[in-house]
Amino acid sequence: MNCESARKSTALFLYGELTIEEEQAFQDHIESCADCGREFETQKRLQAALNRNEAAVDPALLVRSRRELALRLENARMRRAGLGDWLRRLSDLRIAVLARPAAALALVALGFFGARLTAPGNAERRDGTESGVTRVRYLEPGPSGRVQLVVDETRQRTISGSVDDDQIRRLLLAAARESTDAGLRAESMDVLKAERSAGELRPVLLYALQHDSNPGVRLKALDALKPYGGEADVRAALTQVLLSDDNPGVRAQAIDLLVEHKGGMTAGVLQEVVQKESNSYVRLRCQRALEEMNASVGTF
Amino acid sequence: MNSEAAPAMNRPSPIDADEAALIRAAQKGDHEAFERLVHAYDRGVLQIAMNLLRSPDDAHDIYQEAFLRVFKNLHLFRLDSSFSTWLYRIVTNLCLDQMRKRKTRREESSIVETEDGPRDRLDTVAEGRELGDPQRSLISRQLRSRINRVLDELTDKERLVFELRHYQGMRLRAIGETLGTSEEAAKMCLFRATQKMRVALGDFV
Repeated sequence: MNCESARKSTALFLYGELTIEEEQAFQDHIESCADCGREFETQKRLQAALNRNEAAVDPALLVRSRRELALRLENARMRRAGLGDWLRRLSDLRIAVLARPAAALALVALGFFGARLTAPGNAERRDGTESGVTRVRYLEPGPSGRVQLVVDETRQRTISGSVDDDQIRRLLLAAARESTDAGLRAESMDVLKAERSAGELRPVLLYALQHDSNPGVRLKALDALKPYGGEADVRAALTQVLLSDDNPGVRAQAIDLLVEHKGGMTAGVLQEVVQKESNSYVRLRCQRALEEMNASVGTF
Repeated sequence: MNSEAAPAMNRPSPIDADEAALIRAAQKGDHEAFERLVHAYDRGVLQIAMNLLRSPDDAHDIYQEAFLRVFKNLHLFRLDSSFSTWLYRIVTNLCLDQMRKRKTRREESSIVETEDGPRDRLDTVAEGRELGDPQRSLISRQLRSRINRVLDELTDKERLVFELRHYQGMRLRAIGETLGTSEEAAKMCLFRATQKMRVALGDFV
């Protein structure tokens, strides 16, 4: 091997990408050539510097990414299961006027029980039946055989008390906001709704109404927000839901609550929905509401 | 083989029986199997995206998009090919798109204001191993700045090959398969990338 070939082979040698014969020839050359030996040492230092330049991945980023992926997969699975299509087909049956309340109720029930059946979070409850579960979420090997672990720990403990109790309320709010079990999120909202101190609950309900991946939970949040249907923040959220929620059952309920507490913008919003709405039941519900308000159906 | 090669991480290997069973179960809709498959590779995916894009938010987006694509297309995956190669092809394509978008839009200034005054954006990303000594830390920061500048000047393909070989420890043959090119072409890319870094940084190390 001459010096030119050796220079070309240095990096590939360091990456272990030469054949055994090429490696042997390279080693023989740098042992006998001081210049190429120095070049080899320089490239070794360069590789060490490059090793130190590797970007650090924060374990919190990994945890956040996993959580969001779990939610997005849950959504994708629900879409795949065709729940949305089924609901749309049901409401496209052009249910007679007298049957509409029953149909709306059926949509609510389907959304809620669908949530309970499809939510993968049942596993969360299964884990909880053991006295203590520790799950390794991330590990980082360190020097001298040490290792750093990020673990999720679950310990089952029974707490009972009044919903007025601070600790109970905090736990319920956390469950309503963060549980991976859609049924548990909905049940927590239900219990808190009865408790009537809505200061802390309302932001949780508003967030769930607009962002929860499960239609049953969104319906439950909407139901719990009924006493506050006249408030500006609730009306803004309802308008948003009406224009963008992909579930017709949720949209239909949002119409009812908006109409129940008529505001200056209600007719305009409903007129816009009539123009855009793809679901015949929701469209009919809008038209009926506009008629009851003596407002025109078109925006002109 | 010599013992001085870069550390190997998440090296793609032929599909083993356990992984094949996981993939088969995930293809049939087993949620837990899919999660285990994700967890087997997701640190490597984040690491590639962080190294190439140097932005936690972008790395997070690449992570989501890559695994959603895997989820949507897993039924098309054939068990006689390498899962890691397939996954890394998705990840590198997504990173490549993002790198091209950045170049086209020039959306991010390379200089950002920090408490220590203006600094190159790339230098503000945490390095793998921080040094405690301020003097060494300064030298390390200057070196890092130069390394990042050189990495930024590599062609997209050189950058990807270097990333997959140096930081992910993938063999050139697997890199060729991942990037849809030959082992020889990947070798040339690696050679050119290391030459450019040698020229720009050789006197500094």
